[in-house]
Amino acid sequence: MIKLGYSKNRLLEKVNKKSGANVLECYQCGKCVGSCPVASTMTVTPRQMMQLIKLGQENEVYKADSSWYCLSCSTCSARCPREIDIPAVMEAVRHLAIHEKVVCDKPDVNAIRKFHDIFLSMLKSYGRLFELRFMAEFNIRTFNFFKDIFLAPKVLTRGKLAFLPSSVKNMEAIGKIFEASEKMEEKLSGEEMQ
Amino acid sequence: MNKISYFPGCSAHGTGREFDNSLKYVMKEIGVELVEVPDWNCCGATSAHVLNESLSLALPMRNLIQAESLNNKVMAIPCASCYSRHKVTKQKLDSDSKLKDRIQSLVADGGGGSVGKYNGTAEVKSMLQFLFEDIGTDQIKKAVKFPLTGLKIASYYGCLLTRPKSVTNFDSPEFPISMDRIMESLGGTATDFDHKTECCGASFSISKTEVVYQLTEKILDAAAESGADLIAVACPLCQANLDMRQSEIEEMKNKKYNLPVVYFTQLLALAFGVDRGKLEFHRHLVPIEPALVKIQTSQPAQSSVQTEKTH
Repeated sequence: MIKLGYSKNRLLEKVNKKSGANVLECYQCGKCVGSCPVASTMTVTPRQMMQLIKLGQENEVYKADSSWYCLSCSTCSARCPREIDIPAVMEAVRHLAIHEKVVCDKPDVNAIRKFHDIFLSMLKSYGRLFELRFMAEFNIRTFNFFKDIFLAPKVLTRGKLAFLPSSVKNMEAIGKIFEASEKMEEKLSGEEMQ
Repeated sequence: MNKISYFPGCSAHGTGREFDNSLKYVMKEIGVELVEVPDWNCCGATSAHVLNESLSLALPMRNLIQAESLNNKVMAIPCASCYSRHKVTKQKLDSDSKLKDRIQSLVADGGGGSVGKYNGTAEVKSMLQFLFEDIGTDQIKKAVKFPLTGLKIASYYGCLLTRPKSVTNFDSPEFPISMDRIMESLGGTATDFDHKTECCGASFSISKTEVVYQLTEKILDAAAESGADLIAVACPLCQANLDMRQSEIEEMKNKKYNLPVVYFTQLLALAFGVDRGKLEFHRHLVPIEPALVKIQTSQPAQSSVQTEKTH
């Protein structure tokens, strides 16, 4: 069912509020697609995303791989004639999809999500990124044990990966930041649903 | 002596250690004292803002509060991603007091975890921005003892040093020239390189490597086409992608680039007369020597490492 009209389009309202942009301003010129370094990998291009949001197509928007492939390089927004903050729109879509639990489940998107989850778990443990452990865990958790196996010795012998983690002293503060941020996001997503 | 706060970032002792190492020599030569932000934490990079907006603002906020305690005017950050996250955070907190209070509640949560109040007094700059704006090419030129005459340099900026313009307010989001001007002040030649700000693929290096191969190949092709002897960078992730993935791309596409990828601060330090053995060029995967022999200036008397490495 297509919901036209701003007041009936919950998706448009939510995306606009979360991103601070106004998706309605997009006049579909396609400059973003031409600029985007990863547009050719997306099933829904940035321009199409804008149109789908305008048409209130929640399922298609949330389930698209686009927001996960977006690199936030801001080439699109630098060139958008309407000055729409497209990376912010992509970010809003990503967060809404997570909150509403309607997320793209393609294998490479799952790998990207695992990457981010493991990165944050490193921060929870050390307050800083322990690069070596992070890369090892990523390989293990994506069942890609031999990924970059030829690159690893070159990098290790050059001393580019520390064998021991460097940690924040006040880990209590880091722990509290994580705990409180997670609670806050839950609270905010609850408010969004209403 | 000029004092600035310094946020090293997570790669400073790992994949980006040559950057941290060389910029410390540069600062010594130009008389700037770096004061490391006490007990700094990871800025959250891409992963925090992708998954949790509150977290992505709280982590940099703690660093900004820590930096404020140092009372220096500027906080300079080498890594482009760390710089972007701190600058975005500062902008958002300074322009929205409700947001500032909300994120403050996450950071100063009482008990032993209490950190302090955010006042917004620390100015955030990238290392490139600090060197270009606060130090300037005139002062840099004066410090040169070993001009890089004859060396053709493609300056690669990547995405986050100059974009989004509303955040960085520095140089150009499409065709920046700050690093090029610095390279010229060192005696080098800036090549006409048209992929200065094309994305390298960033963190997809690990999670979706085929994208990095595609994007990095285009950048390397453009640098080679511009006639560059080497590529200068100012971001550890860009350096990793262009350097570490270069030989893989050469094999896959049957090409040969021989384009060393170095931090612009390594070139600064080299031109300031710092012994090249100290600058950790050997940590890069693509060897630097074929490019360094292009330098037409004869070696300064104090350098002793040169003879064994390049001949």
